[in-house]
Amino acid sequence: MSCTYSSASVLSSPDTPPGLDKKRHTRYWLRCLRTHLPSAYIPNDSNRMTLAFFTISALDLLSSLVPNTTPEERAAYIDWIYSCQIPSGGFRASPSHDLSAVKDGSAQWDPANVPATYFALATLLILGDDLNRVRRKETLKWLRCMQRDDGSFGETLVNGKIEGGMDTRFGYCATCVRYILRGKREGPDPTSEEQDTDVDALVECLRKAETYDGGMSEMPFHEAHAGFTYCAIAALHFIDRFPWPIRSQPSEGQRAFNKMPLRKEGIVSTTSSEQQGGIKTRGLTSPDLTIHWLASRLTATISSEDEEDTYADETDTPETCHDAHSFVHTANFPTSMGETSEKSRPTSHFALDWVGFNGRCNKVADTCYAFWVGAGLTLMNASRVIHPTPVRRYLLEQTAHIVGGFGKLPGDPPDVYHSYLGLAALSLLETAAQAAHESPREGRDKPVEERELKALDACMCVSIEAKSRLYAIWQRWGVHDGKDWDGGG
Amino acid sequence: MPDHAEDEAKYYDDPEWADIEPIQQADQGPNPLAAIAYTDEYAEAMAYLRTVMARDEKSERVLRLTKDVIEMNPAHYTVWLYRAQVLFATHADLHKELEWLNETASQYQKNYQIWHHRQLIVSRLCPDPASSAATRGPPFPGAGIDVDSLVAKETSFVASMFDKDAKNYHVWSYRQWLVRHFGLWDKGELEFTEASIEKDVRNNSAWNHRWYVVNGKEGSEGVKEEKVREREIAFTKRQIRLAPQNQSPWNYLRGILRKANLRFSTVQDFCIEFADLSKPEGDDVFSSHALDLLADIYAVDEGRNEQAKRCLLLLKDKYDPIRANYWQYRLEMLDKEMGSGIDSHLPEHETRNLTSAVSV
Ligand SMILES: [Zn+2]
Repeated sequence: MSCTYSSASVLSSPDTPPGLDKKRHTRYWLRCLRTHLPSAYIPNDSNRMTLAFFTISALDLLSSLVPNTTPEERAAYIDWIYSCQIPSGGFRASPSHDLSAVKDGSAQWDPANVPATYFALATLLILGDDLNRVRRKETLKWLRCMQRDDGSFGETLVNGKIEGGMDTRFGYCATCVRYILRGKREGPDPTSEEQDTDVDALVECLRKAETYDGGMSEMPFHEAHAGFTYCAIAALHFIDRFPWPIRSQPSEGQRAFNKMPLRKEGIVSTTSSEQQGGIKTRGLTSPDLTIHWLASRLTATISSEDEEDTYADETDTPETCHDAHSFVHTANFPTSMGETSEKSRPTSHFALDWVGFNGRCNKVADTCYAFWVGAGLTLMNASRVIHPTPVRRYLLEQTAHIVGGFGKLPGDPPDVYHSYLGLAALSLLETAAQAAHESPREGRDKPVEERELKALDACMCVSIEAKSRLYAIWQRWGVHDGKDWDGGG
Repeated sequence: MPDHAEDEAKYYDDPEWADIEPIQQADQGPNPLAAIAYTDEYAEAMAYLRTVMARDEKSERVLRLTKDVIEMNPAHYTVWLYRAQVLFATHADLHKELEWLNETASQYQKNYQIWHHRQLIVSRLCPDPASSAATRGPPFPGAGIDVDSLVAKETSFVASMFDKDAKNYHVWSYRQWLVRHFGLWDKGELEFTEASIEKDVRNNSAWNHRWYVVNGKEGSEGVKEEKVREREIAFTKRQIRLAPQNQSPWNYLRGILRKANLRFSTVQDFCIEFADLSKPEGDDVFSSHALDLLADIYAVDEGRNEQAKRCLLLLKDKYDPIRANYWQYRLEMLDKEMGSGIDSHLPEHETRNLTSAVSV
């Protein structure tokens, strides 16, 4: 097992997880903010709004944004984001696509982009902008045009045609844009009178992409994938169609939906009479199996070398992995609970010190899936099905890099994408660990100022603090009476 | 922006592009976010691309320019669409385009736009393979295409991509599209999945593709049909016996039972082959997944709740400690609610400890 970084850090014992080197990570992100990203990022030039979001949100999670930037700088960042807004609604993903300077030119090849619009709005929230300059009505109108008849969302609209694959990532980003601009409530927007997107159709579309093993994919029959699974779960939250009640006292309607549309097989459509009765189709036909699928993503196979069949102790192929063997070896291996009682470290070569997540069945772990899976479980209200410490150690001792940031695999150089999702995952783990100690016997809540990272909103993937700014914005827009505000977090 | 009088300027010095006024990038005030150190080559090509895009020019030189940009930035979300329109407008040779895509796809294995583009090109070459009028497509050099040879080329290209990465998500997605578009359901596709699984029994993508081939055809009953189901169950059992601790076929088996609405107890004896709880504890378990399924089988049967508990405890303490918290959670669910395997209908939420506020 390769372990490049752990040698440089003090190995922690199983019950005292290592600390996050906030200074180092802050330095990494300030470098991303202040200097040009290297030319190796040219293939990501069309995702600059995404990279911008990662940079600003990472500094926010580290509580390093305000202390390290001036109000003038933050105002300039806000201006830069607005410079990517398209007059007819939405944002472009990079100034390199900007054709607005051309007189008499055609703007069709400079369309707004769905993910970029989510990342732009989220980054504006983090920077403390009031969203006053957002072309709200136009963006809502454009968003509706981005939805296909089958309920899915595309990426861009070119010449009236929706482009981009069927992909739950676009559905996720679109529902988040809808949520930021008009909350969860369905129906025409009261202020702009802009029609709503077709929420029922999206639910159907997400349900059809459920796979036989309990995961979700981008479209029917594609392989279950943790990224798509997260996107579908989070989208269902944004449109308030998640199958479990989100408040402790479920309403009559909520009680009824559990009985009515959720069957193991097939897709149950919402009929108009159900609509009239206030019962809406919910997503996820088998939430328990989805939790099972998500929990199955935990793996001790954390580097590609682990995939080699070093032990040749089972009839299989070169593509095998540790997990496939672990049961043979873990037969006399103490569990994490056993460990504490025996006060000894495991001697097996299959140490459970480091546990990561893979994105698909029988694949190697990867930093980013600690977020996709961890956040998915959080949104399923099941984060306690993972033990936070070994995952935390995997991130901090295996994929964190000496210069700050995280790589994809142990020893990999950091990149902006894995560096952000690594932090996001750590924030959720911190929340989960706190929750686990909340029982009166074991301890109490950590006050906010004692947290390592700001608490993350698992659905919007920004700090709860940033998300909470929406409340005042909604009130100003008059789209929200405060009753269905869930307080963030 | 870099100085275009540099020696290396590719377009600036080219008389063919003399009529084009390149559009420099309008970045972005004093504090742009996520600024990238563009190479001169990239900045120049993009400046010319912006101009021809704004003119919506559809010409052969645009084909060269878009190719240039794509090779540096394949994730550009409009350049591919633009290129496709130019290809069609100039009646370019689409077979040549496919050859170029072969090289590009090998270079950028994680890029999905390439596959979307490929699908567009192949659809254009052969919009309706089912009808004999595959030649009805738009005019292009060599129109009147041999569908079989196109399919052969595509499937062999896909196979060569699997040699590089047998789990490449985009390639499997494209393979599904080929099957659907060309109606390859009964043309050796099942055998292809079998060969892929034989090569690597842990290739979950191959298992998923098998599920698609068996169940994905519109109007087909798939494993709801008894003959198909028996064949699939027998195949899956064979693969499990080869490598019992392989989650892919166990998921596949569970999928069959769920889709066909069969009681899980149908496979109880098979599970016991790998986890015989009547033997002294621990020595006769060869698969955590067998224990997992057994726990579900016992859980729906109230009389055997204790046995379900024992399976979950074995998983938690001995055979799958990496997921100890999950098995603990399942134990608690079992205590709270008799008869709840994870495949039972969604239980009444009030009885479960899952109702506290979720974040959003
Ligand atoms: Zn990753």
